[in-house]
Amino acid sequence: MIVGDFGTSYCKFLNLAEDGGQPTILASKELPGNLHVDLATGHNGRRFADRYVNELIALARGGEAMIAEPDYVLLDCGSRDLKFVAVAGGKLKDMGWNTECGASMGFTIELLGRYYDLDFKRLDAPETTFPVTCGVLGMSHIFDAVIAGMPVSQAVASLVKGIAINAHRFCGSPERLYLSGGLVDNPVFVASLPCEVITLGRFLLLAGLARQAGREAAPCPR
Amino acid sequence: MRQHDFAKFTQVGIVGLPPRSVIARLNQAGVAIHDLDARLVEANLEGISPLLPKVYCAILRTVVLNAVNLQLDAIFIDVGPGKCDGALHVATILEDTLPLPVIRVINTDTKDFGHPLCQARQDLTEKFLAITEGVKQAQPPVIQPKPCKPKAGFWGVPPRDFSLLAPFPPATHIYGWSRCLENKTPANQALEAYCNPQVPTVFFAQSFCAKTALAKYLAHRHPLSLYLDVDFNAGGSALAKVQAFLELSGALA
Repeated sequence: MIVGDFGTSYCKFLNLAEDGGQPTILASKELPGNLHVDLATGHNGRRFADRYVNELIALARGGEAMIAEPDYVLLDCGSRDLKFVAVAGGKLKDMGWNTECGASMGFTIELLGRYYDLDFKRLDAPETTFPVTCGVLGMSHIFDAVIAGMPVSQAVASLVKGIAINAHRFCGSPERLYLSGGLVDNPVFVASLPCEVITLGRFLLLAGLARQAGREAAPCPR
Repeated sequence: MRQHDFAKFTQVGIVGLPPRSVIARLNQAGVAIHDLDARLVEANLEGISPLLPKVYCAILRTVVLNAVNLQLDAIFIDVGPGKCDGALHVATILEDTLPLPVIRVINTDTKDFGHPLCQARQDLTEKFLAITEGVKQAQPPVIQPKPCKPKAGFWGVPPRDFSLLAPFPPATHIYGWSRCLENKTPANQALEAYCNPQVPTVFFAQSFCAKTALAKYLAHRHPLSLYLDVDFNAGGSALAKVQAFLELSGALA
């Protein structure tokens, strides 16, 4: 069985039939039109799969698969959206999915990095923060700051920090946060989150799909 | 309420739930009743933009859209505690805008007629359609469904967009103002505030409605809840949240 996480910028795949198989990743813009998987999640997932699992369910199932604690907050920061689940006593406590206002944060960060040719691995989390609730609208802070003399790298990092603080607030301002999604690879973003952070990589939704596939394959309890 | 000759009316609109005595008189006179809170016309909302702010309760925007597009002889609008302050102001706007009587009423009925539909095992959309149809009749249906054990709960007003209801299982109990509607006591605040802490419940808030405060508060107190604020249409994110909540809370098992 092949499962796929069809994100806005990147798609991730895993063949569950291959023991120890590793996920593969492909830019969404390079996705072949005739691609087909068995089980999918993500914005584009319905077009390419027999069965679809919505992203919040995939996230929650991924949390079940990868976090061995009864109480946690798991936040996924992708290209286009933020989503989180909060679990208490092993049960769902809260959830959220921010697809409209506040969206496109990951995409904006990647866009800025390419435009200004920045390597986020060489940047530190800044002292300064831009108050942003939306990636696209937040860009004007960068342009204003650069005009005022702030170095580009600091201005972009300040935006990233603002996005991180907004994401932290979105999921209820936990003291400890499990983080998944593409932004786990951005050290400025991770270091800017004002809490303890445990990163779980960008393939957690695939783990969630695998778990969901196992649940669906399991015989009905009698 | 001024005295009106109901026999002169053939088509009237209602906003909220007018007192049962008013509905009974309309029923006796054979007047066709249109529930202006519901989606009755497909006209463009831009047409009412001079009358109401764009950022406003979707139900009341729908009321105005219906009122300006339907051929009505009168409108009965509940401006009391059974509806909302917004309806009070919409009444003023409709009075000034439309060439027909806009009759302000206050429903403080206290006689309970029960809420069997709210507790029935039936498709949730069908239950809501039946409840909102029921506001046009003074008498409840003769045949009433039996209650079922709830697996999920929906608290709130009837949403403007019923597509939100599709993911719920048939054994979903309805709470909040919708239950008050079926009970024909829209101002019964105790009934409105009731919910079952044993049942995973979606606390639905129609954006910009005053009842969002109660929805948020009750959701906060409820041990297994989803607070859901939705404006004009239920987007993919809202539907996904409902679907995920129902599955992860075990309501679909």
